[in-house]
Amino acid sequence: MKSPQFAPEASRFRPRGNPGSTARALRGRGAVLPYLFLGFLIVYFLIPIWWLFVASTKDAQDLFTSPSALWFGKGFNLIPNLSDLFTYDEGIYIRWLLNSVLYALAGGLGATALAVLAGYGFAKFKFSGRRLSFSMLLGSVMVPATALVIPTFTFFSDLGLTDTIWAVILPSLLNPFGVYLMLVYTSDAVPEELLDAARVDGAGEFRTFLQVALPLLRPAIVTVLLLSVVANWNNYFLPLAMLSDKNLFPITVGIGLWEGQASANNGGGYSLWGLIIAGCLISIVPLVIAFLSLQKYWRGGLAVGALK
Amino acid sequence: MATTLSASPSRQKPISDPVRRRSAQGRRRNVGWLFVAPFGIVFVLFLVAPLLYALYLSLFNKGLATGTTFVGISNYVKAFTDPNFLNGVAFVLLFALVLIPVQMAVSLAAALVLDAFSSLFVRFSRLMIFLPYAIPAVIGALMWGFLYSPSFGPLQQIFGANAPALLSPSNIFGALVNVVTWQWAGYYMIIIYAALQGIDKSLYEAARIDGANGWQIAWRLKVPMVASSLVLIVVFALIGTLQFFTEPEILAPISNGSIQPNTTPNIYAYSQAFSYANFNYASALSFALGIVVLIAIYIFMFATRKRGSILS
Amino acid sequence: MKKRLATAVVAVVGAVIALTGCASGGGGSASAKSNCSNTIVQKNAPVVSVWAWYPNMKNVVDNFNNQHTDVQVCWSSVGEGVEEYNKVQTAVSAGKGLPDVVMLEADHLPTFEIQNALVDLSKYGANDVKSNFSAGAWRDVSQGDSVYAIPVDGGPMGLIYRSDIFQKYGITPPKTWDEFAADAKKVKDAGGPMFGDLGANSPAQVMALMIQKGSVPFQYNLADKNTITIKVNDDASKQVLNYWAGLVKDGLVGTTDQFTTDYVQGLIAGKYATFASAAWTPGYMTGAGIGKSGSGSWAVSPMPQWDPSNPVSVNWGGSTFAVTNQASDKALAAKVAEGLYADPASLKDGWSNQVIFPLNKQALDSPDFNNKTKFFNGETSNKDIYIPAENAYKGMDYAPFQTYFYAQFQDVLTKINHQQLTGDQAADQLQQTLVKYAQSQGFTVKE
Repeated sequence: MKSPQFAPEASRFRPRGNPGSTARALRGRGAVLPYLFLGFLIVYFLIPIWWLFVASTKDAQDLFTSPSALWFGKGFNLIPNLSDLFTYDEGIYIRWLLNSVLYALAGGLGATALAVLAGYGFAKFKFSGRRLSFSMLLGSVMVPATALVIPTFTFFSDLGLTDTIWAVILPSLLNPFGVYLMLVYTSDAVPEELLDAARVDGAGEFRTFLQVALPLLRPAIVTVLLLSVVANWNNYFLPLAMLSDKNLFPITVGIGLWEGQASANNGGGYSLWGLIIAGCLISIVPLVIAFLSLQKYWRGGLAVGALK
Repeated sequence: MATTLSASPSRQKPISDPVRRRSAQGRRRNVGWLFVAPFGIVFVLFLVAPLLYALYLSLFNKGLATGTTFVGISNYVKAFTDPNFLNGVAFVLLFALVLIPVQMAVSLAAALVLDAFSSLFVRFSRLMIFLPYAIPAVIGALMWGFLYSPSFGPLQQIFGANAPALLSPSNIFGALVNVVTWQWAGYYMIIIYAALQGIDKSLYEAARIDGANGWQIAWRLKVPMVASSLVLIVVFALIGTLQFFTEPEILAPISNGSIQPNTTPNIYAYSQAFSYANFNYASALSFALGIVVLIAIYIFMFATRKRGSILS
Repeated sequence: MKKRLATAVVAVVGAVIALTGCASGGGGSASAKSNCSNTIVQKNAPVVSVWAWYPNMKNVVDNFNNQHTDVQVCWSSVGEGVEEYNKVQTAVSAGKGLPDVVMLEADHLPTFEIQNALVDLSKYGANDVKSNFSAGAWRDVSQGDSVYAIPVDGGPMGLIYRSDIFQKYGITPPKTWDEFAADAKKVKDAGGPMFGDLGANSPAQVMALMIQKGSVPFQYNLADKNTITIKVNDDASKQVLNYWAGLVKDGLVGTTDQFTTDYVQGLIAGKYATFASAAWTPGYMTGAGIGKSGSGSWAVSPMPQWDPSNPVSVNWGGSTFAVTNQASDKALAAKVAEGLYADPASLKDGWSNQVIFPLNKQALDSPDFNNKTKFFNGETSNKDIYIPAENAYKGMDYAPFQTYFYAQFQDVLTKINHQQLTGDQAADQLQQTLVKYAQSQGFTVKE
């Protein structure tokens, strides 16, 4: 913890200003190769998304007969496809979308709140049993969430908690890495003197925390929140194991269900593949928008991750 | 009282009598627990308790035609001699060995380029490379699965009848490497990039005065400076890869059997639990996999001499 | 800024909770009942929850609810086939979460019977509807005098083929499997498409093909529930697997999993000249966009035979409704199992779209049913092909671990498709795996 590379300088958390002279100098020296490399990466990272968009504009017939998978078909049927998507099976897709939002936000906010509190507790108090708890925390960072799914399922199953929203939300409150991030950040970004000063002024520990520490922790809080929201939004294994009632499914499990049906027997009288493709497209929109609009937070916030 | 002593900006400690001081510290200790307690409860309920319960379950066996019987460690003996499990472990270990260097190379190279240059195009690239992180693994795997389908995807349109069958048993490995690289390289790139941005720029000027060019600065100065970020990324990639589940599970229905219920240990445990109701054996498999993961991490830490210093 | 962000987040969470209305998400069949995919007509009548995946289930459930005042069905689909069985299995293990009535294919009944998950319907009037069904269909749902489900539909098999392709290459529907192979070669040599497909993800279909040759994969009786006879590597099974492995090796049939995007694309593009499949297939093909104008014309003929003097009919798929032991009112649930998808309107809706082949004799005998079918361009396919096939079907024994069997079968079929195993090796490997598994589950295994 004391090693210098972990010390966050305040500057790291500010968006970078103008490019330094370094960058300009290098660009001057003919940077064709790096730019080609970036161009290649952009194409690589965007191809699947481009394909998804193009495929979403094709009707069922076009989807299977169109001569080019990477270009538009005969008609532009995005709107009819979307209306199919939103009305199929009583609009179950919209429900899945809302479930995903619920799980991502409830799990993300809860996990972040717990992480902030615990990180502060670990960083600023020498309570008894701290050493042991801290080693347990470090050990648990190494336990991936997927490894816990089956044990948690069997445990919840015998408690009668499976197939409820709590079966998805409660386990996602566990985010040891978030606690660790908050701990590292708190111990460097919240000076002991400030806390002591507040205490001396007669503020209780919780008021000190809320009024002195919390504002200083903002960049790290945003990072931990974003990381856990994304992790929960993307989660598949946990809800897949926990939920049977499809009305509780998040979008990932719902689309997985459709995929299974489509390849089992095409779900009967309906071309599910078209729905799956449109469903994929819509499902990536919320987070992509969130990413683009929260860019500032990512750039600043992810530096916390870089501490590591 | 303490309030009468004005808080001084200097490091001067407030003076109070020893007895009060000790009790105040005691209170503060308890308060520390209060801060940690909410997470502690979650930790116990959703990590410790399930693990202990699963450990308990893994010591029993339940057959369709028999009742539940205590079998001791025989589920573990079975796991470590079960070719389905061992082949799965071999698969994910090999997968990690191939995937992680590829992923590291892509994300490190991208981060170095993004760090060294600055223009609208560069900023746009950074965003686009990072974009897949915002896309759920389920969706990413599905999109690539469609692209891999020889006649449904673009392959036969581009390569004709000799289009590569990317989902065939011999190619599925590479196909999965590609999906995971696509999914995560951007995220790792951003972490490395953030670390690069944190380096003191005056170091570069010094190096340049010494006659170093851009490549040398990147390779000899920047990479060593972000080494700890790289090690951390590798550890997380390693843990994630050994627990490989979502991508192969999603690609399985369209893989023409190239991905089986025993392809990775996690899929095997899942099918044991949820298709055949062998929860006891599935619990044992989860633990057995956990043991493998710990060994792998330990070996990696040992190899990079980062033992114990990585997180503390 | 931060405050506004926080307020927005809280508002969104609140709205989502309100919209999904699952703030209190109770468990068990209570939650299943509050989440129907249909509307309840009689608000005061007791409600029975049902899991089923058939494409026209919504019409079927509406028909039922409109015709009943004393009971209403709350239906939802939790997945098709294996996906649903996994959910059922999980709920059986958990001891909660099952619906009152569940759709199960006949081959999966013993899997849940042995776990005491299904209710013996003979106590609840099942035998009153016995006369509606053929002896073979009834055998598939019973164990001795006990009845564990009510049949809905079956899957008598025929050889679906592309009549335009057959015409182009001057062949007629093969009557024997030898002719099938010879025709396949003829078409291929003339530069034509593949003659069919061995989809590893359709193990039940391949099992039917083995049974046609005389294979008896399992002998199992719930009365002696700890003993099972497993024979998937007898001569008949091996010959069938070798036959198909040979077709695969010669490139005469495809190896793509059925109903994947690639397979659908292939069917539309005319890559496959035949599809040895069940009577419910046309509905599923139409749903995928196959058989529409401009993508070839389809016809059906009787299944090719091994011994034409002694023809054998086989069955692939077909479902039933079973009552689970978690049903709160078993008599009421039994009433639903017996009455759902049993009214003429629902049956007609199913068979006219060719998504089911009804087993109810009234439907089978109706003149409409014996009339021309849409998909096969005016052939009287039910009368000529499928009804005789169904009438000749005798029923069979399934394993109490059918899901495991299919998964293992799929594994060896994949290896046949990739030419890693011969038919003989595949059958032997499958036999070995199944015997080992059955023993580990505590069965006494006879081979």
